[in-house]
Formats: sequence, C-alpha cells, structure tokens
Amino acid sequence: MTPYRSVFKDETKLDINYVPHRLPHRDRELRLLMEFFSFLLRTPEKMTQRIMITGDVGTGKTALSQRFGAEITREANKRGTNLRSIHVNCREYRGSLFLILHHVVSIFHPNFPRRGYSAEELLGILLQVLDDQKAYVVLTLDEFESLVEREGSEAVYKLTRLQEMRLNKPQRISLICILRSLKVIEKLDASARSTLQSNIIHLEGYSKQQLMDILNDRVSLAFKSLTVPEDTASLTAELAFSENGNARFGIELLWRAGKYADAEDLDTVVPECVRKAASSIYAVMRKSDLALLRLHEKLFLLGVARLFKESEKAYVSLTEVEQAYAVLCEGFDVQPYSHTQLWKYLRALSALGIVKTEVSAAGSRGRSTLISLPRIPAYELEKELSVLLQKEES
Amino acid sequence: MNIEDVFSSRLRMKILKILMQVGELNVSEIARRLRVNYKTTDKHLSVLEDESMVKHKVFGRIRLYMLNESSPKTKAVQSLIKAWEHANKQ
Repeated sequence: MTPYRSVFKDETKLDINYVPHRLPHRDRELRLLMEFFSFLLRTPEKMTQRIMITGDVGTGKTALSQRFGAEITREANKRGTNLRSIHVNCREYRGSLFLILHHVVSIFHPNFPRRGYSAEELLGILLQVLDDQKAYVVLTLDEFESLVEREGSEAVYKLTRLQEMRLNKPQRISLICILRSLKVIEKLDASARSTLQSNIIHLEGYSKQQLMDILNDRVSLAFKSLTVPEDTASLTAELAFSENGNARFGIELLWRAGKYADAEDLDTVVPECVRKAASSIYAVMRKSDLALLRLHEKLFLLGVARLFKESEKAYVSLTEVEQAYAVLCEGFDVQPYSHTQLWKYLRALSALGIVKTEVSAAGSRGRSTLISLPRIPAYELEKELSVLLQKEES
Repeated sequence: MNIEDVFSSRLRMKILKILMQVGELNVSEIARRLRVNYKTTDKHLSVLEDESMVKHKVFGRIRLYMLNESSPKTKAVQSLIKAWEHANKQ
C-alpha cells in the first residue's frame, strides 16, 4: 500500500464551526457591529443593545457574529471589563427559552440544576449570576426563528425588556438575534416587535467574485500550496453562487472535492472532483431527464461529457463542443446539426440545469459561450448517455 | 465541633469529596449522588457549613453548595483527600 498523502494542510479550516480571523467582504458589517456595541468598551453598565442580523443561508451571519464576539470580548477584557460573548443556536435547544437560558447560566455554574424553576425565574437567576460576577454578556441567539416559533411574543418580550424590571441596576445583557428574514418577526405582537426592530444588519448573498475571495482565503488555510488550481476554485464559486451566494455551501464543496482528490490519490483537486462532490450534495440528476432528450441533444451532451472527461478544465467553449459533437455524429452515422440548432439545445440543457453557460469575460478575443458541467461528474454523464445511445441504435 | 465528630460521618466525608470533584452542586443533586434523602443531606451540609467548611449561594429557590476555599479546615481536608487518593492509586 502506498503511504497516505493528502492535498490538505489543515482540513479543520473548512469545518462549519471554524471562524476565520479575516472575514472577506464583511468588514463593513463588522465595523458597524463594533460601533453599535462600542458602549461596552466605555460604559458597559449604562446601556444594552439589541441587533438583528438577517440574510440567507451561507451569507456569513454566524461567522460575522462569532468574529464580532471574539473581538469585542478581547477589547473589553483588555480594558478590565468582564464581558462574555455567548453564542446559542436556538434550534439546538428546540427553541425553548428555558433550555437556552439554562445553557447560558450553566456557562457560569456548570452544575446548575435543570429543574425546579420557570424560565422567568431563570432569567432573574441569570441576572443575579451576572451581578455576582460583575459580568456583561452579548448573547447571540442564532436561528432565532426557532425561539419565536416555539415561544412567541412573550418570551421575546421578556428577553428584550428584562432590564426594565431592574431600574438603577447595571445593565447586563445585550442581544444579537440572527435570522434568515424578518417574516417571522411579523408573527410577534406589536410591543415585542418594536423592541427588536431598531437595528437591523442585512447580509446580501455573496457575488461570484466575493465567493472567489472567500474560497481562495480558505484554500490557502486548508490546502497545501498549488493543490487547488484556479479553475477548481472558480467552479466551486460558480456553484456556490448558483446556490444564492452561499459561501458555506462553497466551503463544504471544497472540502468534499479535497476528499475525492485524496481518495483517488491525486496531487491536485481537479474540477472533476468538484463535480463529483457537487453530485453527492445535490440530488443526483434524474436519469429520466436524460432519457427524454432527443438523439442530437444526447450526442451534443455526450460531446460535453467527453471533453470534460479528457481535460482538467472547468469550462469548455461551445466551439470545442461542436467539434466533439461532429466527431460523435460521424461515429453514429448521422448528419450534424447547424450551430443555431446546437445553440438552442444548449439553452434547453442549461434550462434543465444539466449544464451551465456563461459568456466569456471581456479581454479575450470576441465573445464565446463557455459551458460548465457543475452538477454531475463527466464520467457518470458519459456512462449514462452511452447506455441510452446504444439502446437507441439497437 | 470536635474533629472526630465532624469526620465520624461517612456522608460528610463523601459530601466534601463530591464538592471537591465537581465544584458546586444543589442539595437535591448532592442527595441523589449520596443516595440519601434531601433532609439528611441538608442536615450534614448544615454541620459542614457551621464549621465553615462549605458555603452556599442562593439563586431564587436554588441553593448551590461549594467548598469554602478560604477556610484552613477545608484546605487541610483537601490536602488529606488528595494525598489519600494519590497513595491509593500507587
């Protein structure tokens, strides 16, 4: 057996729980958070803050809040303030206010009993614990929807208004609520809603270039140098972009692609590894979709599959595919169709999600159509089409 | 209370050992670990607290007991337990 080698330098840097030191394209939001909470560094006892962070899956909500938590804690501790940043995923606690608060209390008192009091009492206990230790907390409630759905307005109201029950005492708990959209907040009654909606940071999905920057950062942290070609990163970014700019998806894809490269004992993570990884994440394309294609569509697609199988490129041009298609037509003894007809086929295949097309960027001579095969490994597609074409011939 | 009176109880020694291991616990949990009832546990905790060997904090209806680290008696017992268990391991 050959000794084990890997394209990875440190695959933990691709783990979902890893929070990088640098968050590309979220610096503005990070600075904004620091501004909102700057009082914690000067007069933490005088006020609290409530912020909502919204955005789709993979837009960096959790990473942003965790990076912010680490930075504000470090700054506050430098100034002698006992500040704790506590991140709770509400879904993990089934959206129960009691379980969430128990988790927070147990950070300070690990053996705090689980029974014998209500959520409201627990809220009072938490404040007492914080008073006791002269501590301040930035409590981040991730997947806040889960808490709203289970507990409704009352819990939100209690959480947001807890300081008002203790006038003239130091303010202890600031909140960051993370959720995908504000829709769920509409379910709350007006008073609970009004306590929340003052400061909202909305994170837009990343653009393809932004995803490239994020993925390149992770590549340099997680992979050995020169093991991930630019084409691979670009294809991964493309796929993550098609998932509404989901960086988490892209990072996971990168990790899986690395695993496929290791399993095949490759020196580099070639685009085909990304396609394999993508097909293991996406619902694999239905065979019936392929069976319903017309003969020339199948031949055209087979041309695409062959080109990707034989090269390590992430994109091929329509001209290259047309040439491969013409060769296949010869083999099948049929007259190849014209460019216009093939262009129509390409659009149909793209609409089905089997291939992706884009027009080459400015800079190259003229404009040509680039084709990528994001969701299915080329060898699998070739195998499937060959079987179908053989049936058609016989 | 004399030393022999404090240490004559197996349960009191066990309470000290448990608190040394886990830091702090409420009365019901100590009782559960000792496999005795709440009242008995509470009684022994009171004895230890009277001797300043343990202390407690109240959080609403919850009382959390912990060793009183500043007491010389507690420090002496901690050293004794450590030395004893270390010797047993060898």
